[in-house]
Amino acid sequence: MGRTEMTLEATVNSSPTTIAELVGHRTTETFALLDEESKREIRRALLQAVCIPGYQVPFGSREMPVARGWGSGGLQVTLACVGADDAVKVIDQGDDEGVNAVNLRRLVTMSTGIDETTEVDEATLIQSRHRIPEDDMNENHILILQVPVPEPLRGIERDIRELARMHAEADYSRMWVSLYEDKVRNGVITQSTGYPCLVASRYIVATTPIPRWDIPRLHQSKFLTLFGAGREKRVYAIPPYTDVEPLTFEDVPFEVESADGATCRLCGSSDSFLVEMPGKQESWSCSDTAWCRRQRNT
Amino acid sequence: MGYAAARGGLNAILTAENLVRRLRDLDPSERIELDQFTGRLRLLVDRVMGESGLWAPELAAMALRQGEGDLIEAVHLLRAYKSTLGRLDTAIPVHANDIQLVRRVVPAFREPGGPQILGRSTDYTARMLTTTDRDIVDASDSTTTLDTALKTRPSNSRMSDVLRDMDLLVDRRRTDDPEPFDITRTPAKPPAPRSALLSSMARAETGALVNQWYRNILGPDGYLHEVTLGEVRHGKLPINVRHPMTGGSVNIGSFRATEVEAIEDLNGSEEDRTRFDVGYGFCFGHNERKAIAMANLDIACYRDGAKSGLEQSLLMTTDGLDSAGFLEHLKLPHYVTFRSMVERKVAVRRVADGKN
Repeated sequence: MGRTEMTLEATVNSSPTTIAELVGHRTTETFALLDEESKREIRRALLQAVCIPGYQVPFGSREMPVARGWGSGGLQVTLACVGADDAVKVIDQGDDEGVNAVNLRRLVTMSTGIDETTEVDEATLIQSRHRIPEDDMNENHILILQVPVPEPLRGIERDIRELARMHAEADYSRMWVSLYEDKVRNGVITQSTGYPCLVASRYIVATTPIPRWDIPRLHQSKFLTLFGAGREKRVYAIPPYTDVEPLTFEDVPFEVESADGATCRLCGSSDSFLVEMPGKQESWSCSDTAWCRRQRNT
Repeated sequence: MGYAAARGGLNAILTAENLVRRLRDLDPSERIELDQFTGRLRLLVDRVMGESGLWAPELAAMALRQGEGDLIEAVHLLRAYKSTLGRLDTAIPVHANDIQLVRRVVPAFREPGGPQILGRSTDYTARMLTTTDRDIVDASDSTTTLDTALKTRPSNSRMSDVLRDMDLLVDRRRTDDPEPFDITRTPAKPPAPRSALLSSMARAETGALVNQWYRNILGPDGYLHEVTLGEVRHGKLPINVRHPMTGGSVNIGSFRATEVEAIEDLNGSEEDRTRFDVGYGFCFGHNERKAIAMANLDIACYRDGAKSGLEQSLLMTTDGLDSAGFLEHLKLPHYVTFRSMVERKVAVRRVADGKN
């Protein structure tokens, strides 16, 4: 996170000499909402996360102006990383105009004065709820994914101490068994979004839930992906050029979502993640609205 | 850098915010002043401060007013405000016996050492809704002797000490003095030290804690022993800090708190059947319901010894902002995940129909 900048105001300019000075001292508006101590602490957790790909690092999640479960973790990661020269793109379900995307973006821009953009090639920080942009991204991008449930094994184990043991010993056997049972019972693996992946051949991670369509983008990506779970107070990371393998069996290929040959009614694409309007003819459109708009304009 | 798209989302948000502000601020009734909250809705203000983990009556009143009386919303506003402030100093620890009592109830003894003070309480007031102004007290009413009734009293004895002197208490006081676990800086998860459990409960949502208590009384998955209360206290404690130059202790204010000691009858086969143990509850403001639940759950959790999921439940499921925030996030758009789920339904059906 080389481009994070220290804030414009020091917290305490000079050492106080009286109680009144100590207590009475109040900083003016801080850059990026959080006080400097908090941002440094989050950055330290993120550095640890990058060093141990896929490992869930606990951090002292702060209460944000948005509710927990509404992107408070992603927001803290963004605010801890943002510097004065960054430009931010925020999407929810792939849409820059989603109400929650708008809300988070205005918090970032209002508290930092940095530029906002819908275009991936103009953005340096991309905060997203549940999509990876369709565009190519590179080493200049940090993708920040909001995470509702960071624990990939919660479906098979509820006890926190046992979960810690399973990760520590890479004891993922029950995860494999659950995938096997799913396949045997249903004919396919029914896990829809948030597909469990093995990162750097070590830790299983919860993929936030992004659709399976986006999973191959994480493998050997040029960009850094940071995951922020505010309510559960953990961050984790997939560094650039890291192996990310969706859990599956040798004879059961990993399947992304299929729309049975449907195309976007706006841009005509069949090679993007499409969402549908119920009960309508020609009802499909790209979930990534900025990408779709560009397809139409070029 | 451009923002080409129509900004429909932003307009919707601004309109919603405007509606809330206008309908609240332009209500034909008088605006509620902050001292009306702190003076007339003090228990609500106390709850907000307790669940926020921040002693600031005026700010809590502002938060309640802004949040139209929604307690969780007020707690959110207050905690988010706290997040923007640096931490200046840590107060010097005070002993709980430094409390200036305005209320003390000791159910365990008829005549405990020290006073029984019923104080300001509706415990024994008939719950009959007053529908007229007839019963409103006015200042000329001489039957109310506020001066004597509101005098604070020092705390010169506590039931755990009395029981210890009678050799009726197991001694699990520790000789070291570890730094308390700071739940605002480190997420608390099992196994956690007792200080993490106590501060989690002190900041928990009152209803969540009461429910944890009751579900372990009557619910399907736990067994909690009803305690005998040794102390139920409400009073004022000093806030002292170290002077930055002289190093001396300086009083900079005070706060009110509720404190509870819960005496537990040890009846387990491996436990000391000749003695009692004590659970501890403490929270900001006047909130006996919460402090009693906390004290009983504290000792229940210790006795449970990580055999059940009680510790995890208390540490991880009682925070009001966590639970309410996650519940309400279900209102957010979920159409990407839902599309993916629909796709799997079709895939399963295709296999079942033999088309794969």
